Amino acid sequence: MTTNDLILFEDVSKFYGEVLGVNRVSLSLPPGVTTLVGPNGSGKSTLMNLMTGLVQPSSGRISVLGMTPGDPNAFFREVGYCTQFDSFPRGLTGWEFVFDSLLLHGMSGMDAHRLASEALARLGLTDAAYRKIAGYSKGMRQKVRLAQAVAHHPRVLVLDEPLNGLDPMARAESLALFEELSRQGMHLVISSHILDEVDRISDRVVLITGGYLVAQGDIHAVRREVRDKPMQVLIRCDRPELLASRMFTLNHCVEARLHADGGGVFLRTTDIDEFYRLLNGIATEGLVNIEAVAPADDDTQAIYQYLIGSEGGAS
Amino acid sequence: MSVFKLEYRAYEGRVTPRWWRVGVLVRYGLAEAWSSRVTVGLFTLAMLPVLVDLVVIYLANNSVARMMVTPGKTFPLTIDAKFFLRVLSVQCWLGLVLNAWVAPRLVSFDLADNALPILLSHPVSRFGYVLGKLLSLFAILSLVTWVPCLLLFAYQAYISPQAWLSANVQVGFGLVAGSLLWIALVSMIGLALSSWVKWRMVATGVVFAAVFVPAGVGGVITGILRTRWGFLLNIPVMMTELWQRLLGSPTVMKSDIDLPTGAIAAVLAAGVAVCVAMLNARIRAREVVRG
Repeated sequence: MTTNDLILFEDVSKFYGEVLGVNRVSLSLPPGVTTLVGPNGSGKSTLMNLMTGLVQPSSGRISVLGMTPGDPNAFFREVGYCTQFDSFPRGLTGWEFVFDSLLLHGMSGMDAHRLASEALARLGLTDAAYRKIAGYSKGMRQKVRLAQAVAHHPRVLVLDEPLNGLDPMARAESLALFEELSRQGMHLVISSHILDEVDRISDRVVLITGGYLVAQGDIHAVRREVRDKPMQVLIRCDRPELLASRMFTLNHCVEARLHADGGGVFLRTTDIDEFYRLLNGIATEGLVNIEAVAPADDDTQAIYQYLIGSEGGAS
Repeated sequence: MSVFKLEYRAYEGRVTPRWWRVGVLVRYGLAEAWSSRVTVGLFTLAMLPVLVDLVVIYLANNSVARMMVTPGKTFPLTIDAKFFLRVLSVQCWLGLVLNAWVAPRLVSFDLADNALPILLSHPVSRFGYVLGKLLSLFAILSLVTWVPCLLLFAYQAYISPQAWLSANVQVGFGLVAGSLLWIALVSMIGLALSSWVKWRMVATGVVFAAVFVPAGVGGVITGILRTRWGFLLNIPVMMTELWQRLLGSPTVMKSDIDLPTGAIAAVLAAGVAVCVAMLNARIRAREVVRG
């Protein structure tokens, strides 16, 4: 994959006066969904603003698909940004907002008309398009911001808290849209506090706190790197007590907890490879009928708790 | 994990020139300004003196009508550079009132609503944003300054003997140049101060204060130090001097003021430079947080 397909941060720092935004961040983001995770004030929005050229780095270098914001015409044609602010130029209808945004991107009136219709339909806002945004619900305002961000067909979509204010149905629709765009080869960079839902579509996670990068990469790989926190595995089986006692014969198994329904057991281990090897042996012996095995804490939520949790005041 | 089909296609159609896109911001500005009834009221107010001046020009050039209005008396006004200096002054000061109302609406709302990140995440620079707002103000202020002044001048030229136009061509140029200078100055002051004051009504007051408070300070300096240079803080005096010279009008102020044109131009340029610096510091996609 060449630099023309990546979002690259090379040793990037950003200071607002004496206040640290982000410090010495290096990232390489391929297409797909990347989730920025961190507590409030951790530097997520600063990373997004740097990515979209809204603020300039104090040091380091950023390139998005090989471009820099120095050429705004080319840059913003490829980048769509949905801010976290619930704010719009006053007095506009949803249609005017998206249409004018396309005109600002340099589309002709005819193209802008077509693309605005397409984007509003994609977000399910066709019927409400000609109503004033001021009369929209919070969820509709979020959607119209999303429509504005995707309308000009960018290849990079930067979404700051895009699920805030959406009801469960709208969240599911938005996540489906993100997933679809990601599968088509688009870059999506999302910050969200709704970790369990974003988790479903994320290809990689970037954890940041206090302006420092804590971890980045595939969620499962990041979890495996957190060695000081034993991994938790849920095993659904017919004899969870027997399984737990067998597993405890190994010194890397540190905790066992029966599932509330009695049909499984949560086990914590410090050596996941050895754990699975032993589990295979038990399954082969036929003493325990194992129905399902699933990691119970290698999701974004768990990684967040382990790496940032109490320090970051998780929100 | 996503399976990349790489079927996503970015927009590859033609794009409009960058200057064309500023037009969207100008449209936003004009819509915002005219959405207020106060703007309409102030605009109407600013047109009233134009109507009076129109009647005066008509009377001054029509002996029959003049005799009907002031029978047996001499008509007190002649239409000359001094007349148009008064017209220009009145229109420009009414323009200041309109500017003090409109300019904060153009910027303060965007800052208060955090609308700048949305606008600036398009291929529109901060300069383009400010230019859009300036052009909106220019259009509105033009309607109450050089456009009516020039129309009155054209009417006077039309109904008076041709010799009048030949003798007063400078007045026409002066009306346009004087208005443009005034529009540039007050719109920069209006936008710069509005970008620092989020509360619109306060911003309106601050625009007036920026014009008249330094004038008071200048008056104190002039009085205490017995020097004419204190008038260089007095925008009304400086502009009146400039307008006089641009229109070729006889002086209407005390002759001991007589500020050099270069000094006036330098002070006004410095004022505009301060406004540019203020806008540069504030018109950003993000507020700079200082701990």
